[in-house]
Amino acid sequence: MINMMRADLYRMSKSKGMLFFWLFTAFMYFISIAYQQWGGISLGATPEFPESTKTDIGQIAMNFTFYFLLIIPVFCVITSEFSEHTWKNTISSSVSKRLYFTSKFLFSLVYATISFALANFIYYIANRLVNGSTYSSSPADFTKAFFIQFPIFIAIVSAFTMLAFLLRKGALYNAVTISMPIVCSMMVQVFMSINSEKEFFQKIRDFGEKSLSYGVEMMSAKIVLDPSDSYRNNCYIICIVVTVFSFAIGYFSFLKRELD
Amino acid sequence: MQEVILQTKKISKRYGKFSALEQADMTVYQGDIYGLIGRNGAGKTTAMKMIAGLTEPTDGEYTIFGKKGTSARSEKRRIGCLIENPAFFGGLTAYQNLKYYCYQKGITDLKQIDHVLTLVNLSDVKNKKFRKFSLGMKQRLGIAFALLDNPDLVILDEPINGLDPIGISELRETFHKLNRENNITFMISSHILSELYAVANRFLFMDKGKVLQEVTKQELDLACSRCLVVRTDDTKKTAMLIESELGIEDYKVIHQDEVRIYDESAKSDVINKMLIQNDVGISGIYESGVSLEDYFKQLIGEEK
Repeated sequence: MINMMRADLYRMSKSKGMLFFWLFTAFMYFISIAYQQWGGISLGATPEFPESTKTDIGQIAMNFTFYFLLIIPVFCVITSEFSEHTWKNTISSSVSKRLYFTSKFLFSLVYATISFALANFIYYIANRLVNGSTYSSSPADFTKAFFIQFPIFIAIVSAFTMLAFLLRKGALYNAVTISMPIVCSMMVQVFMSINSEKEFFQKIRDFGEKSLSYGVEMMSAKIVLDPSDSYRNNCYIICIVVTVFSFAIGYFSFLKRELD
Repeated sequence: MQEVILQTKKISKRYGKFSALEQADMTVYQGDIYGLIGRNGAGKTTAMKMIAGLTEPTDGEYTIFGKKGTSARSEKRRIGCLIENPAFFGGLTAYQNLKYYCYQKGITDLKQIDHVLTLVNLSDVKNKKFRKFSLGMKQRLGIAFALLDNPDLVILDEPINGLDPIGISELRETFHKLNRENNITFMISSHILSELYAVANRFLFMDKGKVLQEVTKQELDLACSRCLVVRTDDTKKTAMLIESELGIEDYKVIHQDEVRIYDESAKSDVINKMLIQNDVGISGIYESGVSLEDYFKQLIGEEK
């Protein structure tokens, strides 16, 4: 497994795919640091930011942008193997399908989350150096905020990895992962716009409201800004379930399916 | 006695109701260049995929280097494969692609990359990106990949597809050289019978997922060579007479009603007269000799 990961790391060092990840991240952070404001992408499902929120903590709360950026490392590691059909070179060597899946899953998880962590901490240092302590929190507070949110991104990358193994084709993987939060957001809005006294419709509306609270965008912001213990625990349970199920579904479907 | 390095026993592969391979038996000995001959859909690639571990057999079993089941997996390290089209990362160069697989296989000596690239004449283009390679160059890189880990058995599916005549000839020499000097066993499939004939020493004819015949080159030569076919009701007496009366020893009883005489001096009228005089019933006597293609057509029943 170590050999496979080493090989993948070598390939990633030659890949141009991650360039976009770093260029977009740098651009986003440049704006944030230059204007002393948090930036990023939003689908409109973010909680209100307290007045005292410092720029770097606000930036972490807006890490939903990384939902889209983390599509890239998983794409580079896994779907390229299927689109180029190079998986068969590996499986026909002394590597079993079990080892292949586990190694790729772990590598994309580690590679993507390390890239995510690196981006956040580089931003923190740059912001601290440029804007000083007025616009940045202490290292301990920033680190705490980052690690409170971190399990959400582990779950996201796990889900991406599962989708990459299930869908295999790069275009399909991109289409599904990119459109998923938009489609979910639309559905939630439809549920929440239901205005009826009937019990069934009220249940649907309640479901919509809960879905909004535990959507990726809301979770990644709310858990950093002002989480209650119960909310945080619920978020972590969701993350654990998503991570474990993503691994299990990906693993068993990959083992069972005939590769062509 | 030659060591058996690969043996399949009644392996089958079904995809739903479609049977891609039915109860195939094959035996590959150490040092063989084993040719798989068959049309599209004959089951050649399916058989190779199962041996390479890309798919699992529905029925039957196979042994690799004397091991079967899960313990055979550990022996996969001794196999180099090129199944179907060569597949590499288009954005990486030939050298980088092989370096990636060196890391993956735990090969520490990176000089091996240059060695295999030289073997397939790709040294000059080792820094060219794979996506810019011609079909023949891709094919040769695939063969270089199969040879990367100094395997004992190399499985190549249609390795000469897309190669020019000189490339084919060079590759044939490479196969012979590796087989002779490094004792590497090859299993090669091809549609091009004449090319496979030029390189292999044992052959497996397949059609519609079934094994038709497994023959050595000598047996194939014998079956295809020019001969006199004598159709008779008493092959035993016929054989005795042509040996004692005409002094011909180069003959073979093929079926219970057919004797084939390979001696070039044998004349049909002389044999006919001699057999009639000795009261042997003859239903036919004629010259025969088939090309490899015709032999294959006869085997699959396209041409009687």
